[in-house]
Amino acid sequence: MGHVEAHHAPGALRAVSDESPEPALIEALHVTAGYENRRELTRLIALRDVSLQVRRGEFLAIVGPSGCGKTTFINLIAGFVKPTEGSVRVRGSEVAGPGADRAMVFQDYALLPWRTVERNIRFAMENRRGHVPKSAQAGRVARALELVGLTGFEKSYPHELSGGMRQRVGIARALVTEPEILLMDEPFGAVDAMTREAMQAELEKIIAETRQTVVFITHSIDEAILLADRIVVISKRPGTIREVIDVDLPRPRFDEQADVQRSPRFGEIRSHLWSLLADEALGAKQAAR
Amino acid sequence: MTETTQGTPGIERADGRQIETIHVSRFARFRTIAITVLNLGVFFVLWEVVARAEVINPLFFPKAGDMFAALFNGFADGTIWPQLSHSLTNFLIGLAISAVIGIPVGLLMGASKVADLILSPYVWAMTSLPRVALIPLLILIMGFGNAMQLTIIVLSAVFPIMVNCMAGVKTVEPSLIRAGEVFGANRPQIYLKVILPYTLPFVIAGVNQGIARGLVGMLIGELLGGGGNGLGYLLDKAGEQFDAPMLYATLILLAVMSVGLVQAMRWLEQRAAPWRDIARA
Ligand SMILES: Nc1ncnc2c1ncn2[C@@H]1O[C@H](COP(=O)(O)OP(=O)(O)O)[C@@H](O)[C@H]1O
Ligand SMILES: [Mg+2]
Repeated sequence: MGHVEAHHAPGALRAVSDESPEPALIEALHVTAGYENRRELTRLIALRDVSLQVRRGEFLAIVGPSGCGKTTFINLIAGFVKPTEGSVRVRGSEVAGPGADRAMVFQDYALLPWRTVERNIRFAMENRRGHVPKSAQAGRVARALELVGLTGFEKSYPHELSGGMRQRVGIARALVTEPEILLMDEPFGAVDAMTREAMQAELEKIIAETRQTVVFITHSIDEAILLADRIVVISKRPGTIREVIDVDLPRPRFDEQADVQRSPRFGEIRSHLWSLLADEALGAKQAAR
Repeated sequence: MTETTQGTPGIERADGRQIETIHVSRFARFRTIAITVLNLGVFFVLWEVVARAEVINPLFFPKAGDMFAALFNGFADGTIWPQLSHSLTNFLIGLAISAVIGIPVGLLMGASKVADLILSPYVWAMTSLPRVALIPLLILIMGFGNAMQLTIIVLSAVFPIMVNCMAGVKTVEPSLIRAGEVFGANRPQIYLKVILPYTLPFVIAGVNQGIARGLVGMLIGELLGGGGNGLGYLLDKAGEQFDAPMLYATLILLAVMSVGLVQAMRWLEQRAAPWRDIARA
């Protein structure tokens, strides 16, 4: 099995490293988080002592067995969940709740079914006063739809669209305000394999253009390698960081000439991740006994 | 069911979807109406035939023709209309009061644990208590007449509305509320833009139940509450006078009234939440 160092030297394309003077955009410091059960007076620890930095412009993927706390981690950054210990910071200040600098793409799309595609995307701009001027909104919607390839579907309702198209609307809604941070919780988990690959390629293109910082949860190892600059492997019960892996593959990765998926390096990273996660699955089974 | 024939050559729209015009047989459009009319016609003819055979005592089972005559004469000589209008007005006012109280309280109970905890026992007690049990108390407090009849309608309709609205709020998908929070909606905006539209079909279902229960309440009030008004009074009087045709005519009126109200709500429902209907289909 190919071995990959936990902290690999920076890749050729992105000259970011731990010594970089720029402070981290997102920073988790010894974060522990859990869910209270008031009836039984217990607290389930979902994540324990997680420390992690996400650099500006980085694409970070999080993988791990289901129930290991991936969603909890992204919800900490989004501001839905508060840590019981430690702190989560964005641009150096403690996360107090959701903010205009962070947008989320949900696994179940979370579109408002009574709104058209256009009005769903507008939803991201209409709540915060003065956030995006009214006069600019129509242009923004058009641009976001173009970015995700849904021009012409402005007046459609979500139930008239396929799963892949709905998630494109979800992505357009998250992109339309041009937030600095994009949080994606298994965004392609519910779309079919073909659509999934097309959407991964699109996402890579979009992010190359917008230069957003992305935290991306997936349970697909290949997806993580294809999209991410770094992959965080979380282990289960309680969720802790098992390993952080640099993905030093050249971009764009969905270029047909590059054929990244058949490169030896891709294979190495892949088999390393597989072995890590196979351990996890075994460990979880034993723990369950 | 619609019968379709070959579509016209496809027209491609800007979004790349192919739209064709379809032709629906002219008969199909009127079929529903035709079947209903035929169905009712057969029903009344059978009624007439069975009644003429006098298998059942005509005192309990009048001829359909006599029933229609009673209906016609009742409208002509002004015995029916004042009572019908009294019942209808009372009912609609009662329903409106129930909606104005029931919807916000129900939404509040769905959204706030504390409100739910405080109000739940009373709401559930009142929802399950048979309405008739309240009549003596209401007569004691308000005497016979309109106020008492209106009160019983409201007490009948308001709780199903409340309970449905509460249940509706609890079904709102958590991820939609999170989406609201992520995209900057404050609490009032989340209520207005997420929770309320999502709950609308439940509100309508609640009002539908409110209509059914409210009609029962209306009749109880008119039958037992005296006051000499309304369709209930008409029923009571016809019964006392062994006027079977009038009795049946009033029942038909009641049936038409409730079916009409339920149909109106259906129409409203389709307009309020087309997304739900299509999602279900
Ligand atoms: N709202 C909640 N209430 C109670 N427990 C929760 C809640 N959300 C998640 N959990 C629990 O916390 C753990 C981590 O969940 P989650 O972060 O959703 O994992 P993942 O996204 O990796 O599948 C799981 O054991 C899950 O059952
Ligand atoms: Mg999850």
